[in-house]
Amino acid sequence: MTAIIDGGPHHTNGTVTHRYAIEAKKLNIFYGSFHAVRDIDLQIEPRKITSMIGPSGCGKSTVLRCFNRMNDLIASARTEGEITYNGSNIYAPTVDPVEVRRRVGMVFQKPNPFPKSIYENVAWGARINGFKGDMDRLVEESLRSAALWDEVKDKLQQSGLGLSGGQQQRLCIARTIAVKPDIILMDEPCSSLDPIATLKIEDLMRELTEQYTIMIVTHNMQQAARVSDYTAFFMVDDNRTGHLAEYGQTKQIFTNPKEKRTEDYITGRFG
Amino acid sequence: MAQQTNIPTTLYPEGAPLKRFIKKRLGRATLWSNLFMLATLVGIIALIALLYNIFNSAFGFVALQNKIDPTALVLQVQEEQLLAVPNVVASENDEELAAGIAADANAIGFFGYAYYQAHADQLKLLSVEGVAPAAATVEDGTYPLARPLFIYSTQKSLQTKPQVAEFVDFYLANVTNEISDVGYFPASSALLAAGAARLQEATVNANEGERSDTIVTTGSSTVYPLTVRMGEQFAAAGFTGVVTGESTGTKAGLAQLCTRGSEVDIANASRAITRVETEACRKAKVQPVELRIGSDAVALVVSRENAFLEAVTLEQLRQIFTTAGKWSDVNPDWPDQPIARFVPGIDSGTLDFFVEATFDGQLAALPKETLMTILTANVSSGLIRRFENDQPFAERSQEDIYQLVVERVIESQIVRSWTLRDSLLQRTEIEAEVAQIPNGELVFRNWLTADFVTSPQSSEPLQAGVRTALLGSLWVILITMLFALPVGVGAAVYLEEYAGNNWFNRLIETNINNLAGVPSIIYGMLGLAVFVRILEPLTSGRLWGVVDPTTANGRTVLSAGLTLGLLIMPVIIINAREAIRAVPNSLRQASYGLGATQWQTIWHHVLPTALPGILTGAILAISRAIGETAPLVVIGASTFIVMDPNSPFAKFTTLPIQIYQWTSRPQAEFRNLAAAAIVVLMVLLLTLNASAVILRNRYSIKEV
Repeated sequence: MTAIIDGGPHHTNGTVTHRYAIEAKKLNIFYGSFHAVRDIDLQIEPRKITSMIGPSGCGKSTVLRCFNRMNDLIASARTEGEITYNGSNIYAPTVDPVEVRRRVGMVFQKPNPFPKSIYENVAWGARINGFKGDMDRLVEESLRSAALWDEVKDKLQQSGLGLSGGQQQRLCIARTIAVKPDIILMDEPCSSLDPIATLKIEDLMRELTEQYTIMIVTHNMQQAARVSDYTAFFMVDDNRTGHLAEYGQTKQIFTNPKEKRTEDYITGRFG
Repeated sequence: MAQQTNIPTTLYPEGAPLKRFIKKRLGRATLWSNLFMLATLVGIIALIALLYNIFNSAFGFVALQNKIDPTALVLQVQEEQLLAVPNVVASENDEELAAGIAADANAIGFFGYAYYQAHADQLKLLSVEGVAPAAATVEDGTYPLARPLFIYSTQKSLQTKPQVAEFVDFYLANVTNEISDVGYFPASSALLAAGAARLQEATVNANEGERSDTIVTTGSSTVYPLTVRMGEQFAAAGFTGVVTGESTGTKAGLAQLCTRGSEVDIANASRAITRVETEACRKAKVQPVELRIGSDAVALVVSRENAFLEAVTLEQLRQIFTTAGKWSDVNPDWPDQPIARFVPGIDSGTLDFFVEATFDGQLAALPKETLMTILTANVSSGLIRRFENDQPFAERSQEDIYQLVVERVIESQIVRSWTLRDSLLQRTEIEAEVAQIPNGELVFRNWLTADFVTSPQSSEPLQAGVRTALLGSLWVILITMLFALPVGVGAAVYLEEYAGNNWFNRLIETNINNLAGVPSIIYGMLGLAVFVRILEPLTSGRLWGVVDPTTANGRTVLSAGLTLGLLIMPVIIINAREAIRAVPNSLRQASYGLGATQWQTIWHHVLPTALPGILTGAILAISRAIGETAPLVVIGASTFIVMDPNSPFAKFTTLPIQIYQWTSRPQAEFRNLAAAAIVVLMVLLLTLNASAVILRNRYSIKEV
């Protein structure tokens, strides 16, 4: 067992032993010979929402996926540098991605519930992770946390694919929080949803910060400004390599950016 | 900002050219859609032609030739039974019978109507089924125990042989004087006159042929004594030649008469010529001339002293002469006295006719005991012992024994078979042809019977079945599925989910794709070399000690199943890979995102989602395996075995091999069998496919 698991979840640990929830140091990502992202240093505050914005192709999704080693699924992807969680590098050779993903959950761009019942969608992750408690309670609690319970409580045995897009996405969030992760990564979670569903998800994210650290990639400036506490702005250079242009409190980024490029982007002058 | 282009819009057709252009394009679309429809039509026509061919052969008429006429067999045994009951007086002497009946109030008996007339003062005539015998009822056949008597000649004989015409003329003029002596009932003068008129008509164009001195007669044994007597009379009246007579039976007599270049001048008949026989005559260019000469009527009589009996039904008659011991057994109103039966002897035609008219002559309807009697009387005692050893007769069913009688006594053999089409369209011709076959019988045969499915192989088309082959096919497919499905799906999972994209894996992929196109006979050779020869101790079951090591060899169900498994594995792998590849990546990511391992992701999400596709591929592959013949021939499937396969180490044959073997036999009947076997194979295929489809649909519904 490694330190990732040993320390227990960040949020349940009474004494915060580490300043940041998760931290990227000198992170470089390559797709084959293509240098996708260069020299990212990013410290994520615990129980806050950090949004990642930037023009298309700047590598913000790629960076996000590094935090639970989802990029491992892409055969040509290669990562250099460190991501520290609980004081350990999650890219250390002794660490299996399965351990990382146990602590760092993910919600995807397109809602992707399993082709199973609503109940089973939530229960499956818990079951494979060895949950021993009352499954019905866990399912109910997770669905309540995801603000979905009232809408689905009478049709738990129906297919998750029968729900609307917004409901499906909240089901995916419920599924993620059912395994009690520490950090939740959200990759443009509202991009395929209508404004009302988007608003619901945003409200939900605010509620979840009581227990979870959330990182969200978004193309929607208003969304980043509305929900996030911190904002990381990514840019792309002439070699199409992404890098972190500016990082700070959301208020500061949106009202008083240090970088000219940041200002240009968030005011819609390019991109 | 959009750039101003320099290409003018006038380069596109407008107005009339545009209309023409669109019309042209639409025309091309119509042409293609018609061509595609035509392609579909070709497919449908091919399918219909295939089905037509199969069903055309699977049903149709067959001509059976019996060694022994079943009706004669039934008649014989029923007569014996009639004579074997107690209280029977059998005599060839009608005077004796008449006297016996007259003397006993509880007696009943029968004999020719003519004899009754001679003793009418002592005897009482009974009506049957409400019809009393009289000249009119006998002649028109309403009296159940009466039949007409005919002689048939031909136009040709009458025209070219003056002596025949003269004899027939003499016959018609004098038969009434003689017929009563033979025991029959004379025809009315009107009927005889009609016959004479017909004779006149037939001889009107007579070209005085060369007078010869023989007249050949044949046919009904009933009319035979009368014709012989008429022949003698004719000789006495001055005829110098010979009237030869033969007693062959009505059917044979008419068949002989209606043969091209027949020598027969006169056929005696105890019934009218049938439509089929007329057709046979027409085909042989023979025109029969029908002449009624009288009637055969059996008079059922009791004594004048009998007070209770006036009329009987046929059902009562059957009881009176067989099972009933006392009159009260038949009808409680009748006296409680034993029945005294007076019956003409076994050689008498009257007895034959009485039994035929009274009892139902169906062999299949006879009780088990009667069939046993027939069997023991007609086959050797050694054979009976062998049957008894196979299965005691006491345990056998009536049907079973009937089958034995048919096989061993009647010895039905198929002489010819016709397709369904011919059976429907050329029925008359077929009937006429069968009428020419001595002891022939025309049966509409459905080759695809329950017996066909449950009987083992046989070299007799009538007894052959597909049980062995069907079980062989099922066994082989079972082994094939057990082997090819897990291995094939496993390989597909490895290649899709685990294997990296290196040269070695690409090589494996390419090879698997190529293997799917290798001719099946190559797999047969592979199976022969590997499973039958090298792995012989395993595939023969010798190593496991489950078979007799002296006869064991590798040509078993197991070898066949493994070979077919290898054959279809590439198809299964390719289809399973397609199905696995079609599983959306988002599903895998969702699973990984929750902290699932690769195996959990595959087992819980990828395989269930890919299952319908995997099953579809498996269905296709297994359908192919069921129909496969060539590799099994190489491996050494038996072409003739009657033992059911009962283990993976059994010898076997399969349906396609059976079909192949039957179609290559020279006898046409085996092609009918092959067609029926094809239907069985198709049903087997459909059943397997349907169950797989149901399985697949059920699974898909549960999942989504």
